[in-house]
Parts: sequence; C-alpha cells; structure tokens
Amino acid sequence: MTAGGGGPGVFLVAVNGQIESGEFPGFDDLYCKFCFVYGQDWVPTAGLEEGISQITSKSDVSPTTLIWNFPIEITFKSTNPSGWPQIVISVYGPDFFGNDVVRGYGAVHVPFTPGRHKRTIAMFVPESTSRLQKFTSWFTGRRPEFTDPKVVAQGEGREVTRVRSQGFVTISFNVVTKDIKKLGYDVSPTDMQTPCMPITEGIHKY
Amino acid sequence: MAELHVIGQLVGASGFPQRRLFCKWGLHAGSAWKLLEGLREGQTQVDDPQAGDMAYWCHPIDVHYATKGLQGWPKLHLEVWHQDSLGRSELLGYGFCHVPSTPGCHALTCVTWRPRGTWGERLSRFWLGGGPQLLAPDPAYAADRFRLRTEAAGTVRLQLGLILRHFERYGVQC
Repeated sequence: MTAGGGGPGVFLVAVNGQIESGEFPGFDDLYCKFCFVYGQDWVPTAGLEEGISQITSKSDVSPTTLIWNFPIEITFKSTNPSGWPQIVISVYGPDFFGNDVVRGYGAVHVPFTPGRHKRTIAMFVPESTSRLQKFTSWFTGRRPEFTDPKVVAQGEGREVTRVRSQGFVTISFNVVTKDIKKLGYDVSPTDMQTPCMPITEGIHKY
Repeated sequence: MAELHVIGQLVGASGFPQRRLFCKWGLHAGSAWKLLEGLREGQTQVDDPQAGDMAYWCHPIDVHYATKGLQGWPKLHLEVWHQDSLGRSELLGYGFCHVPSTPGCHALTCVTWRPRGTWGERLSRFWLGGGPQLLAPDPAYAADRFRLRTEAAGTVRLQLGLILRHFERYGVQC
C-alpha cells in the first residue's frame, strides 16, 4: 500500500485473515482453493488474489474439524462499493479411487466494517439434473463441477443449478479501510451518529 | 442524491417441511428510488441439504440505489418453493422484509406464510402436493390482505450489509 492511498475518489480495503477450518462429515484429506471476485471498479493493489492450501486431515485432537489455518492477505482499491469483493472457496479431496473431486463451493462478501469478523459459510456441490447423467457420473466417477468456481459469486443463472450442501468452512477476516468515510460512505451505525468524526472524538466513548 | 448500497447474501431457509428448496426474490422500492447497478430480482439454486433441515443458497445480492426521497424504502420480496424429485415446483411460503435502514451488517430472519385453502385443498395437498398459491403475488406484500386465509411456514435467513452515502448531507438520520 502506498502511503498516500490511491488518489482522489479512491478508497482502500485491506483484508487480512485466514481460512481457519472446515467441517465435512464423511470426508477427509481435503484441501481448499480461494479466489476473489469483484466488480469492475475494483482493483487489487497488493497481496494474493488466489491461493491453494495444503491437504489436511482430521486427527485425534480434532475428530470432526479439518484445520487449514491458511492465510489470506489482500488489499483492494475502488471508487464505488458496488461489486464489493467476495471470497470464493472451493474444497477438493480424493474419492475412493484417489481422483480429486470437489467437496464444496461457497462464497461470502468480505465484511465492510473495519474490525475482526468470523464467517461460517455453507459449502455445496452441484448435482446432475438428469438420471442418465447421475448414472454416468456414478459409473465413470466424474462428478459435476463448475468449470469456473467464480460462478458461485454471481447472482445470475442460478435457477438452473441443483446443489447439495454438505459442509461448512470458517473464515476469519481483519478488515481495515481507508478513506471510505471521507468519500461520504457510512458503513456502520456509529458513522451516522458522529458525522465527519475528528480523530480525538472517538476517545470519550471508552 | 443520496445513495444506498445493499450488499449481502440470501443465506438459506429452515423450518419448512420439505427439503430441496429454492427462492425467488425481488427488490421493490418506491418511485423516488433509482436502481443504478446490480440485479433487482433473481432465483436461487435448489439446495438439497445432506445434514439438518436448513437449505443453503449462498445467493449474492449487490445493488446500488440512488434516491431523492425516503418514501418506499426498498423491500425484499421472497417466495420459497420446493422442487420435488419429479422436477415439479410447489409454493411453500411468501414473505417480505424491509431492507434495514442503519448502515452496517445485519443478520435478518424473515418469517413466511402461505395461503391455506379449503379443507379439500388441504387434503389434496397432503396426498398430492401442490396447493393454493396467489394468482398475482402482489397482495402478499401489500397491506391489503383482508379475506386472505393463511398458515405459518418456515423462515428465511439473510445477511445484508448496508452502505449509505450522503444521507446526512440532507439531514437524514438512519
């Protein structure tokens, strides 16, 4: 991040966090991928937009939860909150024959109030819509997948998808914003109570 | 003009007797409101949960309104449907909720209901599925529901974030 920010009319959103853990009953040895989906006004300025984690397994101390502890660090700049970034997670693991198959897709918006946030998102996999496809996918071991996981973050064309939700992923975010308030955006109730807050004014609340 | 961003998700629904649910949704606002960006309506995927009775849709919402007045603050209209194994869809519930007016993140639950129908219709619903639905769903969201006979249905969970801009410039407190 440059010290000056981006320029006039630009605000910054810095996101640090981690993909903490997952719960996928009946599945083990899973890894996850993440990527960000954002609108046309948004530009990532620092950090990684995509990542792929290690393969993790359950253990004696955590018999149901898979731990990834996988870091996320990215900074965006934008002129417009529309198209606010979403993180898309996809989880993969081996099936009975050792082929990698998808165990879940999920997405959530990056929180926009500064501070620490934890999100648990439901993960789902697409299903075949016809019985013939169901049979062939069972027979060949090839399950339906999204060719581009980013469709999970889009609102259009979802009425044709049939899915099965089968797990959860927990993500924690630390969000820092810059110049959002200066551009006149109110993102939390306290913004409205103390309009154009000078820096010292927040202190008396403590 | 003041601006409003609604960013969030239709998370899912629970409390319905069936699984394999989907939702048709639409945002409706008064005439002073103008949609600048984003989708005003949509339909979620059909989810068949493997555990528990909550269906998850994970359906993103990201709309940008500009407004000249406060009348007709945006409302979210919801219709929950069930798709059975033969691909037939039946209505399970209508509901609406106002988009909150305070900025920040809001976890909302929207209660829903459905038309009850006569004794015979309830019997045929029990055996065959289907059941009465409104010809035009407008009364479901309007105040004029006199003579409509309804019964309780499940709840829809939403996660909505609000960003307001320039409301205080016009002296509006939200």
